[in-house]
Amino acid sequence: MTDNLIEIEGLRFSRGDRIIFDGLDLAVPRGAITALMGPSGTGKTTLLRIIGGQIRPDSGRVVVNGHDVPSLSRGELFELRKDMGMLFQSSALFTDLSVFENVAFPLRVHTDLPDEMIRDLVLMKLNAVGLRGARDLMPSQLSGGMSRRVALARTIALDPKFIMYDEPFTGQDPIAMGVLVSLIRGLNESLAMTSLVVSHDIHETASIADQLYIISDGRVIGEGTPDMLRDHPSTMVRQFMLGSPDGPVPFHYPADNFLDDVLGDA
Amino acid sequence: MIRMRTIEISVGAFVLAGILCLVFLAFRVSGVGVGSTSGTYTLLAKFDDVAGLRVRSKVSLAGVTIGRVAKIGVDSELGEAIVTMEINNDVKNLPIDTGARIQTEGFLGGRYVSLSPGGEEKTLQNGDTITNTQGAIGLESLIDQFIGKMGSK
Amino acid sequence: MLRYLRLLGQWALDWIGALGRATLVWFWSMAGVPQRDDLKLLVKQVYQIGVLSLIIIILSAFSIGAVLALQGYTQLARVGAEESVGLGVALVLLRELGPVVTGLLFAGRAGSAITAEIALMKATDQLSSMEMMGVDPLHRIAAPRLWAGMISMPLLTLIFNAVAIGGAALVGVDWLGVDQGGFWGGMQDGVEWWEDIGKGMIKTVLFAMVISWIAVFQGYDSTPTPEGMSIATTKTVVYSSVAVLALDFMLTLVMYGEFK
Repeated sequence: MTDNLIEIEGLRFSRGDRIIFDGLDLAVPRGAITALMGPSGTGKTTLLRIIGGQIRPDSGRVVVNGHDVPSLSRGELFELRKDMGMLFQSSALFTDLSVFENVAFPLRVHTDLPDEMIRDLVLMKLNAVGLRGARDLMPSQLSGGMSRRVALARTIALDPKFIMYDEPFTGQDPIAMGVLVSLIRGLNESLAMTSLVVSHDIHETASIADQLYIISDGRVIGEGTPDMLRDHPSTMVRQFMLGSPDGPVPFHYPADNFLDDVLGDA
Repeated sequence: MIRMRTIEISVGAFVLAGILCLVFLAFRVSGVGVGSTSGTYTLLAKFDDVAGLRVRSKVSLAGVTIGRVAKIGVDSELGEAIVTMEINNDVKNLPIDTGARIQTEGFLGGRYVSLSPGGEEKTLQNGDTITNTQGAIGLESLIDQFIGKMGSK
Repeated sequence: MLRYLRLLGQWALDWIGALGRATLVWFWSMAGVPQRDDLKLLVKQVYQIGVLSLIIIILSAFSIGAVLALQGYTQLARVGAEESVGLGVALVLLRELGPVVTGLLFAGRAGSAITAEIALMKATDQLSSMEMMGVDPLHRIAAPRLWAGMISMPLLTLIFNAVAIGGAALVGVDWLGVDQGGFWGGMQDGVEWWEDIGKGMIKTVLFAMVISWIAVFQGYDSTPTPEGMSIATTKTVVYSSVAVLALDFMLTLVMYGEFK
């Protein structure tokens, strides 16, 4: 049984009247790439935020690296976050800083390293994502794919042990997608990290994930390797894996009988 | 992208400009420092009517501002107003029979205390009271007088 | 009928909730140990907020000073009191127009810029990612802007007053022919350091605190969508303006009202 970096048990969380998580259980093993998938709006980003301590769940255990996250103090969270990285869907680069300064930011905040060392580290990280030559550009000058790579460089600046990726493949062209896929897998192996990828893209995610969780209606409805899931007993899981337009998640938004509706006006 | 150095310089210039404006306002606009370098001493004066005179109204001698009204109080027994004035120390030798009148600046202007020196040798000291006073002449009483004069023609 | 009452009650509760959140934002921004980068951030914000507002302040100040002198002259000339125009303009500016107009202009230019910037950072997850990196956005984004606002606005008011009086002098003395000695002498005689300039500056400092607070909070509290951003910036301008005018009324009553 591999050691789990993250263990979540019985997670419950609601926002207003909406129940977002209703008894969610999952475990993220160390050193592997775990994927979270599911239909839109199931709160996958919220889950990442709960793991990162930005949001407090209503109940349940959230243990990261042995720490019970919801009960950590501000100072303890600060320490925990040094070892965590998060790559946002919008890359969230600081628009008033250059690419170099963006990647240098976590180093400047968390360490007292002299400027020369910071420079070397930043260039190394940028090189790992292939953007060392873009160091002086501003975020507004970058394409979407490049922004994401810079954001990735920033995320690995402090050599975190754990990275969360929020929809990294969304809206990317095939080449950029391929670059990201290889980076995620490469980094996970070379830096012996644990990765948690939240995504819709079955194909890309399945190609790198060691294990998948499918989440719907606030709980896990399927877990295992991609192959296991394609033959899963649940029709919902299979619909998701195959991308079928109709199934447990219906094609039609609830409405009256079609013929009645159309002929009713006549 | 504007360089940091330019930013620092412009912020410094901005703060400097603000301070210069403050200095301008202090000296050119509010007249701080005009004649107040020396200290002041206190003189009192009693009037039967100080209508319109306010604290901080000026006290002048021969048209030159030599002090300010510090306090206006009342002596309810005698039914008089007691005006406390701070006079600049450079104006020291006011004779003991100096007169104080409350006058109006211009036609609609504010009230002020006008001092006219008398002829005695002894001078007023800190805390002394001027006894030769004439109160404010209200506009209404002026008009009454005028009408009275007109009527008697 | 009951429905409207319920809506009103809900609106009032929302408003009180917002006030509570705003107080927390202010408190947590002001608390916090100063760090290495803070001075640089502050200077950068003073530039964005203060220096970049200079043009509109100077132009407005000059126009307002000139117009005041013109109008004042016309009215005072009727009773032969033109020489008092210097004094009149100075008092109006120092006590009221300087702090208030600077406040309104500041709210519109700098306030809305602050709100827009913070709202944009919220919508693009920059604030979130800062938090995830262990950086407190209140300390790094909100606090410098709050302090910069409180530093810049009084300076801007001082500059406004000086330029406006200068503009009035230009119109009054050079153009309309008021005697220079009378203009400045009357002003110096009648304007007092504490009573006029001092109290005016107190007003401006209070306005600065309120406007900066509203601007930062509205950005922070905004809905992270494009509509949310524009709603937030509008709120900043409207709330700040109303707050400035209402505060001015109360302060004027307290400072200058003579209660019998």
